[in-house]
Amino acid sequence: MSTHALPTRGTSLALHGVGKVYRAHGRDVIALENVTLELGATEFVSIVGHSGCGKSTLLRLAAGLDRDHSGKISFDGHPVTGPSLERGIIFQEHRLFPWLTVAQNVALAVHHAGLAPAGKQALVQSRIDLVGLTGFERAFPHQLSGGMSQRVAIARALTGSPRLLLLDEPFGALDAFNRLYIQQELQKIWQQQRLPMLLVTHDVEEAIFLSDRVVVMSPRPGRIQRIVDVRLPHPRDRTSAEFVAVKRVLLDELGYHAARAPGRAAA
Amino acid sequence: MESQYPAVLPGSVLPPASTGAAFGHHAVRVASVLAWPALFLVLLVAAWAFMAHRLDTPLVPGAGEVGLELVRVIGDGEFLRQMGITIQRVLLGFALAFAAALAAGIAMGRSRAFDRFMEPAILIGLTVPGLVWALLCVIWFGISLLTSTVAVALSIAPALVLNVAQGVKAVNADLVEMSAVFQLSFWARLRFLWLPTLAPFLLSAIRLGLSLAWKVIVLVEVFGMSSGVGYQLNSEFSSQNVAGVLAWTIGFAGVMALIEYGLIGALERHASRWRRVATL
Repeated sequence: MSTHALPTRGTSLALHGVGKVYRAHGRDVIALENVTLELGATEFVSIVGHSGCGKSTLLRLAAGLDRDHSGKISFDGHPVTGPSLERGIIFQEHRLFPWLTVAQNVALAVHHAGLAPAGKQALVQSRIDLVGLTGFERAFPHQLSGGMSQRVAIARALTGSPRLLLLDEPFGALDAFNRLYIQQELQKIWQQQRLPMLLVTHDVEEAIFLSDRVVVMSPRPGRIQRIVDVRLPHPRDRTSAEFVAVKRVLLDELGYHAARAPGRAAA
Repeated sequence: MESQYPAVLPGSVLPPASTGAAFGHHAVRVASVLAWPALFLVLLVAAWAFMAHRLDTPLVPGAGEVGLELVRVIGDGEFLRQMGITIQRVLLGFALAFAAALAAGIAMGRSRAFDRFMEPAILIGLTVPGLVWALLCVIWFGISLLTSTVAVALSIAPALVLNVAQGVKAVNADLVEMSAVFQLSFWARLRFLWLPTLAPFLLSAIRLGLSLAWKVIVLVEVFGMSSGVGYQLNSEFSSQNVAGVLAWTIGFAGVMALIEYGLIGALERHASRWRRVATL
């Protein structure tokens, strides 16, 4: 890798006038149009919006998994031209290799990095410990619950020592208890690692709980409708008046009127 | 109300250390697996003996006579020598077909155009009887190693290609993306992604290919060779020694079963070891 610029205090990920057009059934479908968004060096930003608003597409572009787009995407001042270990990504599915153990899966993220075996093992172990899976190093993915698998995916993404974490509805497939718990975990990891994160989610409450800013996107074509700042101290109380006020604003933006559905998240 | 840490799902136990008790349990399971096939074989021999006794004709030799013949061909070393020659021929043809099928199958799995292009070739290959390949190769190449190699390769390649192509299509696109994110090298991808995905397909290709190859090689040896199990079968047939034909057939089938259960079974256990035992 040639991109070893020092992280700037200002911007990490920057999207300028980004657009994406799909060709489907002989017609052009505009998935994204003129999206401009900058992530601060330690900022947590969430993107919420209805299905088909292009929020997952946006994340794939930022990850470098799709290079066919208009506009400019850069990370730490360098254009994004493909996937990289410095931009860790976590999907809704855990995407673990079923024939590798937890430790082997986590180690795969640094297979390319050419570390000494002892150093690699220590790094892998520290990440497994970080997500609370100590003792499960030798388990295979099919022996883990959904929440545990997703925590392995987080450990794996963090092992490459990324300078940005991209999360594509990572907790969407988890049950409600697991989701609350793992959101707290992620919040702590974010504070510990001082790492910018970009989260795509359906869950407005999750976005408010975790984010400095929440981006509301509108569908067809996908574009930024509004950006809402969340200026509440961590850890956040989901039932506080301030929290609920932000939620009301976001639900209004998404077209759910508080008067008709008071206090219900648009999951 | 619930503990804060999500519990491990019931039944998702970590791999336990092997113990003597586990081994004993294993032996019992093997015995129970072998009991039914063994019963079948015993009944088969008994039925044959009964039939031979009732018919009382030299065309249907008794079970004892066949058994003695079997002991004789194995005893004088002839069986092992001829079997070795036949296996060598099969392996040569198999290796040729396997290499070709790997290349063609991967190309078919990755290119839809090539997939369509090859479709008629596969269909024709699957429908032409092995007997036809055997005859044609004997006519074209005479009595040579080329005959058996090409005849075996042509007979089994279509089935192998189909299996490999299916395996390539089964590669998980999500994991391909993860490999790109981790910037895995070609060799790392081969080791961590392609081979584990292809393994079950390759194994079933090997199994299918070998079972087809045995049938063709015997035909080739009957028509155009002066050695091998097929040749021996033919010469026993010419001297009207029915017990000899049966003895060679039984010995041949026995060796095939050993390869099937022993060699391929072992490969299979090796390829699926991640389902049972952790490796680190």
